[in-house]
Amino acid sequence: MLPANALPAYVTTPGGFLLVLAIILPVVAVLAMLVLDPRHARSVVGATILAGVAAALAIAEELIRTGAALIYVVGGWQPPLGLALRADGLSATMIAMTAIVLPGIAIFARGLQDLKPETRNGRAPTTFWSLLMGVWSALCLTFIGQDLFNLYVALELLTFAAVPLVCLDGRSETMGAALRYLMFALLGSMLYLLGTGLFYGAFGTLDIRSLSAMSDDRPAVSVALALMIAGLLAKAALFPLHLWLPPAHAGAPAAASAVLSALVIKAPIFLTLRLVAEVAPTPMAAIAGKILAILGAFAIILCSVMALRQARLKLMIAYSTVAQIGYLFIVFPLATGADALPPWGTIAWTGGALQLGSHALAKASMFMAAGIIAEAFGHDNIRDLSGFGRILPLSAATFGLAGLSLMGLPPSGGFIAKCLLLTSAVLGGHPWLSTTILAGGLLAAGYVFRVMNRALATPQTPLIIRRKIPARLEVVPLILALLAVLLGFVPLEPLGLLQIGRPDRPAETMP
Amino acid sequence: MSAEGLLLFAAVLLPLGMAISCLSRTIRARAPSLLVFAPVPAMLAAWLVPNGVSVFFPAPLRMTLALDRPGAILLGGAALLWSAAGAFAATTMAGRPGTPGFAVWWLLTLTGSLGVFIVADIASFYLVFTLVSLAAYGLIVHEQTAAALRAGLVYVVLALLGEAFLLLAFVMLAAGAPDPNPLIRDAMAALPASPMRDGILALVILGFALKMGLVPLHVWLPLAHPAAPMPASAVLSGVVVKAGVIGLIRFLPFETALPAWGAMLTTVGLFTAYYGVIVGITQQRLKTILAYSTVSQMGLVATILGVGLAHGDPAAPVLAAYYGVHHTLIKGGLFLAVGVGLVTRGSHLRPILLLTGLLALSLAGLPLTSGALAKIAAKQMLGSGIATIAMTLAAAGSTALMLHFLAALKRETAANAETPETPGQVAPLLVVAAASIIIPWSLYPGLPGMNLSSAVEIGALWTLVWPMVLGGIAFMMLRRLNGLRGALPEGDILVLAEKCAPLVGRVAGTFAKVDSLTRHWPVAGVLLVCIAMLLGGALLSRP
Repeated sequence: MLPANALPAYVTTPGGFLLVLAIILPVVAVLAMLVLDPRHARSVVGATILAGVAAALAIAEELIRTGAALIYVVGGWQPPLGLALRADGLSATMIAMTAIVLPGIAIFARGLQDLKPETRNGRAPTTFWSLLMGVWSALCLTFIGQDLFNLYVALELLTFAAVPLVCLDGRSETMGAALRYLMFALLGSMLYLLGTGLFYGAFGTLDIRSLSAMSDDRPAVSVALALMIAGLLAKAALFPLHLWLPPAHAGAPAAASAVLSALVIKAPIFLTLRLVAEVAPTPMAAIAGKILAILGAFAIILCSVMALRQARLKLMIAYSTVAQIGYLFIVFPLATGADALPPWGTIAWTGGALQLGSHALAKASMFMAAGIIAEAFGHDNIRDLSGFGRILPLSAATFGLAGLSLMGLPPSGGFIAKCLLLTSAVLGGHPWLSTTILAGGLLAAGYVFRVMNRALATPQTPLIIRRKIPARLEVVPLILALLAVLLGFVPLEPLGLLQIGRPDRPAETMP
Repeated sequence: MSAEGLLLFAAVLLPLGMAISCLSRTIRARAPSLLVFAPVPAMLAAWLVPNGVSVFFPAPLRMTLALDRPGAILLGGAALLWSAAGAFAATTMAGRPGTPGFAVWWLLTLTGSLGVFIVADIASFYLVFTLVSLAAYGLIVHEQTAAALRAGLVYVVLALLGEAFLLLAFVMLAAGAPDPNPLIRDAMAALPASPMRDGILALVILGFALKMGLVPLHVWLPLAHPAAPMPASAVLSGVVVKAGVIGLIRFLPFETALPAWGAMLTTVGLFTAYYGVIVGITQQRLKTILAYSTVSQMGLVATILGVGLAHGDPAAPVLAAYYGVHHTLIKGGLFLAVGVGLVTRGSHLRPILLLTGLLALSLAGLPLTSGALAKIAAKQMLGSGIATIAMTLAAAGSTALMLHFLAALKRETAANAETPETPGQVAPLLVVAAASIIIPWSLYPGLPGMNLSSAVEIGALWTLVWPMVLGGIAFMMLRRLNGLRGALPEGDILVLAEKCAPLVGRVAGTFAKVDSLTRHWPVAGVLLVCIAMLLGGALLSRP
C-alpha cells in the first residue's frame, strides 16, 4: 500500500482544455436553448455539434500525436481536494464514438421532425434537443472523470437526461416505462453512492489513480466494490436486472431509442470496467470478472431467445441490446485472466472496445431504420411487414448491414470483436464462453434473419404506406451501418490506440 | 503487382463490382443479360495463371490470393458452369419482375463461390465462404413458394450452424499461429502438432460436410436445390457444394497420415454414397432425384479425401478436385438439360433426351466419359481395399439412380406443351456438355501417376462396365416395386428433426417465463440485492 502523497501529482497537459470543452460545449447549448426562442434551437444544436465533433477529433489527434493521456486539473487543485479529468486511449475512443453516433442521430431526428412541419419548433422537439445535449455532456464526463463522486454526478446527469427522452411523446405507457427506468436507475445510484461513501471513509480520497494504488483486500474495499458494481449493473440493464430496458427503449421515439441503446447504456458499463480493471486489486478483479461473465452469458442466450420471440420490431431490437450487452461483460474474465499481459494489452480488451463501438453504430442505425419503418407504415409488427424491402430498400439494407455486425459475420466490426473474444476464450481455456459467443451469434442471426426475410418477401397484399419517407432520411442510418461494417477492416490484434495512457501508474511509483 | 495477380483479383472483383453496381436501377435492370460475363476473369485465371502464384493485398484488405492445382481445376469448371448457367438464366428468366434482384444474389453467390477456390488466408476464406453460404439463400427462396421458403429456412439454419463450427475451428487454428491471420498452408503445417488438433478436425469436417451434404447433414440439399429456379439449381448442385470440397481439401492435413480421422471420413462418405442412391430412387421429382444424386456423389468425393487422409497421400486433393470438376460439369449439365427437355417437343426432344442420357450415365462411369476418367483415377489412388470395392459397387447404385432419373424425365417430357425451346437455352447446355468431355480429358494426363493409356485399358473399362450392368438389372427389378415410389419424403430424416420443434418451443417458452418473472418489480429488486450480496460475499471470502 502506498500513501497518497507518494503518487505523482496530476499535471495539466497542453491539450487538457479540450476535455473541458467536450463537457462544457453541450451544457452551453442547453443554457442557450433555455434563453433563446425555440426557433433557434436547431441552429444552436447544429453549431454545438460542429464544435463538439471538432473537440472530440482534436482530443483523439492530440492523444495519438503525444502518445500519452490528456489531463486537466480543474482549478489547479490536486486531488483529493480538487478534481482531475483524464482521457486515455479507451476514453478518447469512447468520446470519438459518441461524436460519430450522436450527430448522426441528431441529423436523423431533424429529418424526422421535418416530416411534421407544424410541430417542428414545438415543445417536444426543443425538449429533445436539450436532453440530447445533456446526454452528450454527461457521457463525455463519464468517459473522462477521475473522481468517483464526480462520476456519480455524471451518471445522475445522464439518467436525468435519458429518462425524459423515453416519455417525450407523453403517452401513458411510455410514462410508465420512463418511471420504471427512473426508479431502477435511482436504486442503482443509491448503491453506487453507498460504495463511494465507503471508499471515502476508508481512504479519504475518491480519485481513481490514488485508489488504484491504495486499495487492498480490506473488507471495506470488497463491500464498496460489490455495491458500486451492483448499482452500475442495474443501470446497465445486465440480465437479470433488465426489467426497465425493453419497454423504455422500445417505447421511446426512434431517435431517442437510438441514443439510449447505442450510447447511454455504455456509460455504466464503461465505469464497471474502470472499477474492475483499475480500482479492484487483481484477485478481486478476477472473481468479479467471473460473476459478471456468468451474468453476461445468461444475458446473451436468454435475451437473444426473447428477441427472437418478439412480435414488434422495436421490442426485438431492445431485447437484442440486452443480449449484446452480455458480450461486453464476457470481456472481464478474458481481459483479466491472462497472467503475462495487462488487461488493456489483451485481444479481449480490443475485442470489447470494438464490440462497444460496433454495437453503438449498428444499434443506432437499426433503431433509426425501425423508426423509419414505423413512420412509413404506422406500425412495427414484424409479421405484417412483408415486402418492406421493396418500398424502403435503403432501410432494409441498413437493417441487413447492421444485422451483419450484430450476428458477427464478416466483414463487420462485430465480426472482428467476436473473433477476438472467441480467440481469447479459446486460448484462455473457457469452453463455455466460446460456446456462448457462438450460440449468441446464431440466435442473433435468427432474429436479424426474421426481419430480413420479411424485407425480401413478396406480400399477398401490398403494404400500405402511411407516410412517404424522403431518401435522405434513410441515408443517415445507412451511413452508420456502413461504418459498423467498415470497422471490420481493423486488424485482428490488440489495438495500439487503446493502450495509450495505460497503466495510469507512472514508472517511478511502481514497486 | 503481376498480371497474374491482377487476373486472380479480377476473378472475385468483377462479379462483386457488378453486384455493387446493381445499386443503380438502370444497371440492375440490365444485369441479367450480363451474368454470362461475370465469371470470365476466373475462367481465364484458371486457364492462364500458372499454379503456385500467390499475391498479397496489403491493409486494409489483408487478403492473399493463390492458385494451386486443386483450386485451379475446380475454379475452371465452376467458372464455366456459372457462365453457361448465367446465359441460361438470362434467356429463361428475362422480363420477369424479380429477375434483377435474382441477378444480384446470383452475382454475390458467384463471387463467394469462385473466391473459395483462390483465397489463401484464413480470414478471407471465412469471408468468401460466408458470402457463398448466405447469398445462396436468395437463390433458393427466389420463387417465394411455401416449399421454397421452408427449404430456405432449413438451409439458412444449417448454413449458419456450419459457419459457427468453422469460425470456432478457424479461431482455434489461428490461435496457435504468430500471425493473427495466417495463411491456410502455414496453419495446416502446424496443425498435426497442435494440442487442439482433434477438436479442429472435428469442427472442420462438420462444417464442410454440412456444405457438401454428407449424411446426416444433407437434409437441406434435397429441399434447397429443387426449390430454386433451374439455372440456380444447376449452380447450387454443381458448384456451391464444392465450397465444402475445397474446404476439406484446404483444411485437412494430407501431408500427415491420420488413420482414425481418415477412416471416419471414408465411412461417412461411403455411407452417404449409398444412402443418397437409396433415398433418391424413392423420389418422384426430377430435381429432387438429381439433388440426391449430388449427395451420393459428394459421398464419393469424401471417400477419396478420407482414404487420402488415412494414408497421408498428398495426391488426394488433386484427385478429389478432379472428381469434383467432373461432377460440376455433369450435374450442372443435367439440370440445364432438364430445363431444356421440359420445354422441348417433337423431333427436337429425342436428341435432347439422348444427350441427357449420356450425361446421366457419365455419372455412373460410362467408359470414355468424364465419369469413367474420374473413377479410374480415384481407384488408382484408393488401391485395392474395401474402399475400392465399395466405390465400384456405388457405381451400380449411381446407374440405377440415373436410369430412374431418365425414366422420370421421359415420363414428364411426354406431355410437353407446344413451347419451342430457344437457342439461348440449348447453347449453354451444349457448351457444358462439350466441356464435360474436353476439360476432364485435357486434365487427365496431368493427374499424379496417370497417362492417357490407363483410361482406355480393357481391365479398367471392365471394372466400369460390370457395375453398370448390375445397376441396370437392379433398376429393372426395382421398377416393379410400386411401393417404393414416394416412400420417403424429400429431406428424409428432416421430418424426424421437425418432430422436435415443439420441444424447442417449450425451451423457448421456459426462457420467456424466466424473463417475465425477472421483469416483476419485487423480483428484480430482490435480484439486485442478491447480486450485490453475491458480489460482496465472493469478494470478501476470497482466499
